[in-house]
Amino acid sequence: MSAGTPPLSGPPKPQARALNCPKCGAAITLHSFGQAVTVVCASCHSILDAKDPNLAILQRFEAATRDVKPLIPLGTRGKLRGTDYELIGFQRRSTQVDGITYYWHEYVLFNPYKGIRYLSEYNGHWNDISICKTLPIADGGGANYLGETYKHFQSADADTDFVLGEFPWQVRVGEKAAVTDYVHPPRVLSGEKLDKEVTWSIGEYMYGREIWESFKLPGDPPAPIGVYENQPSPVTLNVTGMWVAFAAFAVFLLVLMAVFDMRAKKEPVLQETYQYNRAESKAETSFVTDVFELTGHTSTVEVKTFAPVSNHWIYLNYALINQDSGQAWDFGREVSYYSGYDSDGSWTEGKQHDSVVIPSVPPGHYYLRIEPEADPSLPNIPYTVEVIHDVPVFGIYGIAFLALLVPVVIISFRAYTFERSRWSESDHPPMELSSSSGDDE
Amino acid sequence: MFRKLYLLYGALVLSSAGFGQYRGWSLDTVNQLKNVPKSVRDNPGSYRSVYSGYHHYTGGK
Repeated sequence: MSAGTPPLSGPPKPQARALNCPKCGAAITLHSFGQAVTVVCASCHSILDAKDPNLAILQRFEAATRDVKPLIPLGTRGKLRGTDYELIGFQRRSTQVDGITYYWHEYVLFNPYKGIRYLSEYNGHWNDISICKTLPIADGGGANYLGETYKHFQSADADTDFVLGEFPWQVRVGEKAAVTDYVHPPRVLSGEKLDKEVTWSIGEYMYGREIWESFKLPGDPPAPIGVYENQPSPVTLNVTGMWVAFAAFAVFLLVLMAVFDMRAKKEPVLQETYQYNRAESKAETSFVTDVFELTGHTSTVEVKTFAPVSNHWIYLNYALINQDSGQAWDFGREVSYYSGYDSDGSWTEGKQHDSVVIPSVPPGHYYLRIEPEADPSLPNIPYTVEVIHDVPVFGIYGIAFLALLVPVVIISFRAYTFERSRWSESDHPPMELSSSSGDDE
Repeated sequence: MFRKLYLLYGALVLSSAGFGQYRGWSLDTVNQLKNVPKSVRDNPGSYRSVYSGYHHYTGGK
């Protein structure tokens, strides 16, 4: 045991058995005692029968894959989810899909009191795997294990092409197994059929940093690439809840709107009709209205203008002036209305009425200064000015509604793209992916 | 996590909408001025509107 590795917890430790490879003579230490069925010589890559006192050679394979190195070295010890384990075996497996070979790695972990469990790694995605305690119920579309429903993800043939260390089964390089995966993130249920025997295992997604912390490995874990079959979505679980929250907020918003609409005074404080005369416009056209009082709290003031223009315009420079404080709100409004016929038929543009809402006007005594301008071809035109105090602004609710909606839409879209990425690697790709791949062929 | 953040965010949005409505917020922009002389009431022509002469007719369709 190296000084840096943590001790295995529990009662007195059984001793590891030291043997020699019958092929090359290299020392072999069996760590898993009676649990190892096969052991691989790290020196000559002979697969040996761990149950045989003389370690009979079961298979030899060419280690042409010298670049295959486990990310966690054999013999590494660590505490995985509260239990001490030693890494005793490693294998690389592969599958071919559409002529492309995909590789993943499996690690055998051993604790003398807890037994064997496994870690798998593919493109930086890890799974903590153990053998199922009860037999799942599976059909083509899904499976049920311990009351949890799993969706079929993919079925493929898996080859074993590199092995190292000890294994609790008769491992062979070149061995083919039919693997079927069912997912219920963050868990994956796998059925591995070898000859006529099916072994079921249950895996739970783990992040590389958890593995690195568990085994106190140096450096950083490889960054995960893409979305893995049982990788938990950072957002999917929240989508339904967020839509429920959004619906609740929308109802609150409606209530808020109704309450403020009912309590708004909507008090007309001025309504006058004036006449614009071009003949008089040579002189000063500006004038002021009577003083009106705004009572209550700081609120909105709506200024409405109506002018019966037709293919003309009138423009009004307004200033709402507080008689006492000299505070003023200056704005210009145009009322114009045009209509006619062209090759597309009849058309209209503009309106004969206009409205503007002045924000946050404190109570006090006010008057309007009005300076009209009008179309030069317009000899005279009447126009009506109406001032209403404390009107609700429904646009605020529209903005609030959008502000509530946008995050939910973004989260939903992210969840959708995440799931789309997940299932694009499955036997059941999203509709548009399967049709687009069909087009490519 | 997201849901809690959204609940907080939503509460903030609703509060802002309610506060804005109470305080008379508006989506229209108007130019605010201070210290307009009281003489404007007697002599409206002495006041120069910010928008005076801004209007340029472009016509209908």
